[in-house]
Amino acid sequence: MRLLAVTVSLGAALLVMTTAPSYAAGGDAIFKKSCASCHYTDGPAKEKTIADQLAKKGPELFYAGSKFQKAWLAAWLQNPKPIRPMKYNSLTEHNKGDHPKMSAGDAAAVTDFLMGLTSPEVKAGVIKAGSSPQAKQIFGKKMPCTGCHEYLAGGEVHGGKSGPSLVGASKRLNPDWIYAYLANIKVFKPVRDMPDFSGVLSPKDMENVAAYLATFE
Amino acid sequence: MSRFVIIAAMVFGLALSAAGSAQAADAKQVFEFYCAQCHGVNGDGKGINVGKDFATDPRNFTVTADMEKRSDDDIRGVIKDGGPSISKSPLMPPWGATLSAAEVDGLLAHIRQLCKCKGK
Repeated sequence: MRLLAVTVSLGAALLVMTTAPSYAAGGDAIFKKSCASCHYTDGPAKEKTIADQLAKKGPELFYAGSKFQKAWLAAWLQNPKPIRPMKYNSLTEHNKGDHPKMSAGDAAAVTDFLMGLTSPEVKAGVIKAGSSPQAKQIFGKKMPCTGCHEYLAGGEVHGGKSGPSLVGASKRLNPDWIYAYLANIKVFKPVRDMPDFSGVLSPKDMENVAAYLATFE
Repeated sequence: MSRFVIIAAMVFGLALSAAGSAQAADAKQVFEFYCAQCHGVNGDGKGINVGKDFATDPRNFTVTADMEKRSDDDIRGVIKDGGPSISKSPLMPPWGATLSAAEVDGLLAHIRQLCKCKGK
């Protein structure tokens, strides 16, 4: 009987070891301890009202693996420079740049964990970085993203401050996620202060804009 | 009987005013969430996005003389379809796919409070 119990336990342990995802090294545990008080990772999106959104201390991360580029994420967790000019959910307080820093080891483990959180809404390998006159026209004039988002031009930062900065978007964001976000924004953020452009921009327009943002230094 | 009618009317009136103030509070929250980044928390057009690169002055809703020229339908339309729908700047984006009809009506009521005016 004891032999049977030991065998079953060993078998169960082996099963866990072989089926556990790569972040079993501890990224999920580190995240729970250090990050989960401000960020949630269990989708789908939970917010239903403005009050729900305002109650959040930081962005949801249940699709982080589809949104971010791995190398950028691992580096940013060790040296988290502000992405938003303003404090999250605030139009009056500037971002103090006080996001906690991680050691290289913890950052690598948490990056592995977050990169495993992907969204079925994001089709991989569709959008290739590239500029086009159509995208420039939409970005700057027709539906000006510049009103709310910072961008780099002539070595200087321009643009609005209420949204996340698009400076360095080529290294931070996955172009396929940018397209999916424009096309089906409610799945990612049901309550946000960015307009839903579905029905306003065509899918081709959105592809062009996503490809263009993917060139941003 | 008449006492019952008076009490019922009072209760109904109280309920209506409570609902009205809840709606006003909601409209203020909707305004501060979706509009204040450009139009300012106080509706004076001095939102955080308005800097050297902002190609137009967002509407200052507190200027009665400007706002009374705009009909309610103009204001609903520009919220839903964006600035170009009334030959104004595309920096005012279309919110029609984001906001409900009730939220747009609430915003209109809030804007009319800010300008202390009615549309022509």
